[in-house]
Amino acid sequence: MEGYFIAIAISVLVYLLMASGLALQYGFTGLVNFGHVGFFAIGSYASALLALKGVPVPVSLAAAALLAALAAYPIGIIALRLGGDYLAIVTLGFSEAVRMTLQTEEWLTRGMHGLPGIPRLFAGWVEPRYIDLCILLLLVVVCVAVFFAIHQIIKSPFGRVIEAIRDNEVAVRALGKNPAQFKTRSLMIGAGIAGLAGGLQAHYLTFISPEQYVPLITFYIWIAIVLGGVGSLRGVVMGTVLLVGFLEGSRFLRDIFTGISEVQLASVRIWIIGMALICVVLYRPQGLFGKSAERKH
Amino acid sequence: MDLISIANAVINGVVIGMLLALPALAITLVFGIARFPNAATGDYMTLGAYTTMASQLVLGGSIVAAVLAAMTATAAISLLMYFWVFRALSERSHVSRLIASIGVAFAVRSTITFFAGQDQYVIDVPLVRAWNFGGLRILPTDLYIVGAALTALFVVFFIMYLTPTGRRMRAIADSAELAAASGIRARRVMIFLWTIAGAFCGLGGALLGIKAVVLPELGWELLMPMFAGVILGGIGSPVGAVLGIVTFSIAQEVASLYVGPAYKIVLAFFILLVVLLLRPQGMLGRPIAAR
Repeated sequence: MEGYFIAIAISVLVYLLMASGLALQYGFTGLVNFGHVGFFAIGSYASALLALKGVPVPVSLAAAALLAALAAYPIGIIALRLGGDYLAIVTLGFSEAVRMTLQTEEWLTRGMHGLPGIPRLFAGWVEPRYIDLCILLLLVVVCVAVFFAIHQIIKSPFGRVIEAIRDNEVAVRALGKNPAQFKTRSLMIGAGIAGLAGGLQAHYLTFISPEQYVPLITFYIWIAIVLGGVGSLRGVVMGTVLLVGFLEGSRFLRDIFTGISEVQLASVRIWIIGMALICVVLYRPQGLFGKSAERKH
Repeated sequence: MDLISIANAVINGVVIGMLLALPALAITLVFGIARFPNAATGDYMTLGAYTTMASQLVLGGSIVAAVLAAMTATAAISLLMYFWVFRALSERSHVSRLIASIGVAFAVRSTITFFAGQDQYVIDVPLVRAWNFGGLRILPTDLYIVGAALTALFVVFFIMYLTPTGRRMRAIADSAELAAASGIRARRVMIFLWTIAGAFCGLGGALLGIKAVVLPELGWELLMPMFAGVILGGIGSPVGAVLGIVTFSIAQEVASLYVGPAYKIVLAFFILLVVLLLRPQGMLGRPIAAR
């Protein structure tokens, strides 16, 4: 039972890390990133592959965050000069392109067979039965640090500019600032956080395969931040807890509705996510805990 | 690679491009008039393929009747989603419509998998032998597919450029405020737009289901290639959408000979990047740098 709670808490924290990256991009900068899972995947595979080659895990995690951030650079440069819709399409394409590449380049990633035997965090440092607890604590520390960092970023001059870009890009341009440059940086930081989350998850699960990185994961994160309230860090936490609560809770639906198959249950789950996206956008655009009114473009 | 294989890939690219021109046109019209990239387009296609298969089972075999039934069904869903979701969001930011369209995509696809599962299906069409012209292979089914697509495209271009409804559509695409000020009723145009968009996605999905197999991911996986094709042609331009997607499909089929079919999406992504880098307005579009 204890183990189950630790597993759920770890799951919440990994999603929370990803969500905080997207919150910086969408909530505070207004960037529509539909390919968040692509950066997450890059982080997972980069850290896993490096660690399997013998690189110490802390170094491989840093490399994962860095690589994911660097992958965002060309996307930002190309798409952010143009309107916001282009970024959505390009990032969605990016995450699918990453997944297809991971699936196909078997010499590196073993394709659909997945990568087994990724070194666990803390393996050899603490007793095996405490490893999960230690990973949980590490994630708490990382999340607090990332939230603090985002908080500092938003309060900094950089943060004021990105929030101004979200609210009125023309005004920012009139002040002589280049919005594309600030947006690219915000995109890269968010991607780096997703990469770090991916790395941490890989060293917790010890097995990864391309089908863990489907676009659905991106939209799990989207529903979490839209539900919690865009542009509020507290909302991100609440949204993520609600999301994981729903994902975990819906497993028990089969105990209630006995005649339903596993495939049908998965369909119901995705249906609810889709409907929730529609309904929140339609009826509660500020999210459950958000305060700001919807901005206009 | 020998010339015959390349020529066959080109032929295949033309067929797939003509077929995808229908949903691509839906994307570009919705983008131009309702002003957002509709991410549910792919899943409307999937719905078209599944309803074709289902109505063939119910109606007993006639493929033409089944395809028409599927077009009606997807047009109905498309209209329903307009009245429920996109009409209410029309005064709000385009990002809100984009996010909602992702929700619609998931809702439609999961409804399909709830009833049909994850299995593959085939649409029952008479098997015919390909005509062989010294190595050049042409399937009669492909000719029917291209014929159906051309007919549909002809109808919509006729409406767009030669009827009052089409003129109103183009006016709203140019400037919604100006059109409203000149007394054009947006509501009717929107109903027409979403009917056409739904029916075309349905037809495209049905034709693709006939050509390949029916899968839950059928349409979603084509979303990227379709967006890449539409942007290549110039987003918002109907003729550009057709030209762009046909060019893109030919390039994709020929390139698959060299890099393998698994890289289709990766290729679409890179073509998209190159177009956005070098010519973001596409072949025929107008630059829309800051919308």
